[in-house]
Amino acid sequence: MKAARAAWLARWWPRRLSSRIVALFLGLLLLVQLAGFAVVRASIDANARALLAQDLAVGERIWARLLAQRAGKLALGASVLAADYGFRAAAASGDEDTLRSALDNHGARIGATVTAMLKSDLSLRAVGEGTERGAVDALPPLAARLAELGSTLALVDGRPYQLVMVPMKAPVLVGYVVMGFPLDAALVEDMHAVSGLHVAVLVDGAAGGSRLALSTLPEALGAELRAAHPAGDQLALGDQPHVLRQIGDPAAAGAGMHLRTVLLRSLADAVAPYRELQATLAVLTLAGLLMASAASIVTARRVTTPLRSLVRASERLSRGQYDQPLQHDGRNDDDEIGELARSFDHMRVSIAKQQAEIRQLAYWDPLTGLPNRAQFGDAVREALEMAQDTALPVSVVMLDLDRFKHVNDVLGYAFGDRLLQGVAQRLAAQDLRPDEMVARLSGDEFALLLPGRDAAGALRLAECLADAFLLPLTLDDHTVDVTAAFGVACWPQHAGDAETLISRAEVAMYSAKRKTAAALVYDAANDVGSALTLSLLSELRRALEQDELRLFLQPKVALVGPQAGRIVGAEALVRWMHPTRGMVPPMHFIPFAEQTGFVRQLTMWMLEATAKQWPELEALGLQRVSVNLSTRDLMDQELPAKLQRLLKRHPMPPQALCLEITESAIMDEPQRAEATLNQLSAIGFKLSIDDFGTGYSSLAYLKRLPVDELKIDRSFVMAMETDEDDAKIVRSTVDLAHNLGLSVVAEGVETGAAMARLAGLHCDEAQGYHMSRPIPAAEMAAFALAWADRQAAADAADQEKSAIA
Amino acid sequence: MSSAVRLCATLLLSALPILAAQAAGVEIRAVGSDGKPLAATVVFLESREAKAAAKPLSGSEIAQADRRFVQRVTVVTAGSEVHFPNRDKVRHHVYSFSPAKAFELKLYAGTPANPVLFDKPGIAVLGCNIHDRMVAWVVVVETPYFGQSDAQGVVRLDNVPPGSYRLRSWHPGLPPGSAAQDDALVVGATGTTTAAVKLPLTEAAP
Repeated sequence: MKAARAAWLARWWPRRLSSRIVALFLGLLLLVQLAGFAVVRASIDANARALLAQDLAVGERIWARLLAQRAGKLALGASVLAADYGFRAAAASGDEDTLRSALDNHGARIGATVTAMLKSDLSLRAVGEGTERGAVDALPPLAARLAELGSTLALVDGRPYQLVMVPMKAPVLVGYVVMGFPLDAALVEDMHAVSGLHVAVLVDGAAGGSRLALSTLPEALGAELRAAHPAGDQLALGDQPHVLRQIGDPAAAGAGMHLRTVLLRSLADAVAPYRELQATLAVLTLAGLLMASAASIVTARRVTTPLRSLVRASERLSRGQYDQPLQHDGRNDDDEIGELARSFDHMRVSIAKQQAEIRQLAYWDPLTGLPNRAQFGDAVREALEMAQDTALPVSVVMLDLDRFKHVNDVLGYAFGDRLLQGVAQRLAAQDLRPDEMVARLSGDEFALLLPGRDAAGALRLAECLADAFLLPLTLDDHTVDVTAAFGVACWPQHAGDAETLISRAEVAMYSAKRKTAAALVYDAANDVGSALTLSLLSELRRALEQDELRLFLQPKVALVGPQAGRIVGAEALVRWMHPTRGMVPPMHFIPFAEQTGFVRQLTMWMLEATAKQWPELEALGLQRVSVNLSTRDLMDQELPAKLQRLLKRHPMPPQALCLEITESAIMDEPQRAEATLNQLSAIGFKLSIDDFGTGYSSLAYLKRLPVDELKIDRSFVMAMETDEDDAKIVRSTVDLAHNLGLSVVAEGVETGAAMARLAGLHCDEAQGYHMSRPIPAAEMAAFALAWADRQAAADAADQEKSAIA
Repeated sequence: MSSAVRLCATLLLSALPILAAQAAGVEIRAVGSDGKPLAATVVFLESREAKAAAKPLSGSEIAQADRRFVQRVTVVTAGSEVHFPNRDKVRHHVYSFSPAKAFELKLYAGTPANPVLFDKPGIAVLGCNIHDRMVAWVVVVETPYFGQSDAQGVVRLDNVPPGSYRLRSWHPGLPPGSAAQDDALVVGATGTTTAAVKLPLTEAAP
């Protein structure tokens, strides 16, 4: 109920303040006017009734006076007639017919239709010739009253008459002359004209029926009145209330009938002049309402216009436009609204100030004073927007300090911060154009925005910067060599939007870092494909969780020594058994895993799987299994501890695990790599340099490392049979390794001849398709048997050969 | 009725002393209903002998002077002729509708040539058609014994032969058309016979 009413109110109550003010004003005014109207109306009604009653009382007196006046006039006429000599002579003649004739004749002179002569003792002597016979009966009872009053109303044959009686003298009183005049319409019309009241003269019959003798009323109303027999002073005629007054004349009765005069007036007529007044009042009310609404609208505007401008101002604020001062017209300067406007403007100014502070914090790097990543991103977006029009290229150069983490770790974060500040100064000192920008994106990552430069120009700048970095930085007596990798990406050929442009520059930077180049321009070939990246990463995760990865082994065969020809080891490799794509080749996900760092999970999975498999392999006579470590693995400080925990979980001796590391992995951060390798070696793991011969590692450096084995890169081994130079490299490598006390493994052995030649070079072990492709770990036992058979057959053939020889 | 008894008693008491005379005086006192004397009361005695003795009067006149009839009340014997001299400058139109004598003297000035003959006993009311206020009465009697009361209401009649009479009394104040009151009177031979009549009116009445 309450809710419904609230809803009703909500629907009808205007939402706008101005409308509410206007509605309130007008509502109150209307209420007052209505109350006034009601009071006026009620008092008009009461007044009208009172006045009407008064009118009717006055009307009755007027009616009496009118009758008396008429009677006087008639009496005068009658008395003049009565004094007429001829009339008197006729009266004195004693002849009945002459007398009646004279009465009639003389009565006609003044319009009397009833004439009679009474004797001096008031008995009837004669009636006029043309007089109704009813007069004979009607007159005697009236004679005394006539003698007393001189006139009366009377019914003669049911019709109302006014009778007058005058004495006739000849010259002394000889009798009385009675003359009767019918009440005529002129009389009541006269009455109506004088008093404004309606007059009806009714004759009530003995049987209760009434006859309307005379009336000023319209015919229909007269008929209604005749039928009504009103008891009080109220009567509805023609649906209009009338107030009336009835005058009965006791004398004017005869033959069971009597005369009744009704004075009446319509209430509506009486109220009519007031109605005009009310109409005037209504017009005034209307005019008042119009003026009040105009005034209230103006007032409401005065209030709501500045409010609306405040609303507009607050909308501008919410859009972040703080520069426009609040407009107000000054009319409301001194009132509350003006105060509100002023405080609102104060708020605008202070918000703008705070906004600027926040912007400073949000867009600037507090350490170096350079723009931060957010501002850089915005700047790149702006530059690209402008470039849409100018069609000039926009380049982004990103650089990342090499080994910064190492500096931080070794020299402390405070030093690291100062180093970053130094780098920032160095970058900022470059002769950049005003629209170019240097920003610190994160940690040791910096970027430059170079609008208008193409990739080549940006690359030149990057190389200049790289040269500048060659000068060591001196901080607190420390001289630090700071190098950095630079990546360049250029709009529009490398990316369509700001985010992609920045990430492409980053990709190029990482490429440069991997390739130990100073600066590289983005090359789509280096990019695993950003769109693919995310899905591949999640798929790889799933592969780990859902056990889609498979451990494959590629056997290694001893070439020299007592074990020659036997499988002494194997390289563990990972294969991905994709549920829909089938076997995914390692080339398709290993480089990606290395880039994203996911390779660490892969490595741990390999180590785990290998350790699990070890007892079986050991039973087959294998002495060790090799697992590849990536750069990221090497950089992982936790790696030695993780491996130790692995050994605890599985019955595998550390010597049985050989960790293969590529040259480039070591050379990325040689010092850290060296530290990690020392720890691993201390634990007892065998260490092997993979792909030996492709990198730039110095033998002097290698010599410091606790390495047990070198793996000659397959490119040399496969070319060995056709290229003598490669054969020489292989031979010298083997010799070199042996001289350093390292064993040598040859990869990519695809033919028996190659294997034989390697054996001739005293290479320790061989690995390759000649022996076997990588096979599932579970098939290792079967392969070992088959290999033993094959070896035995080969041995037998050799012995046969030697026997023949 | 009591007045009649009283009248009779008076007559009886006074009868004896006048029986002896041949002709005696009669004194009649007229009073109104209130007992006060009535002036201008016409009193006349009727009897057969009186009627025989009556002779027409001559030289009677009712003049009109100052728009009045002079006299207002005139008593004449039947057969008398009355002149109506007009002494006013205005003309008069004297009329009578009375049964005793209806006549009309149309507008005239001076004395009309012919007097009016009142030949029937009765009371004629005379008016002037020009002047409604003018009124006069002519009482026509058939007896020589008549008179009008003085201010004391007394009428004295002399030389009335003794005998029984009808004592008639009339006053202009009586209702119009009233006949003269009729009482019996015995006139003695000698002395003065007195009688009183009481009329149903008062002096104040017109």
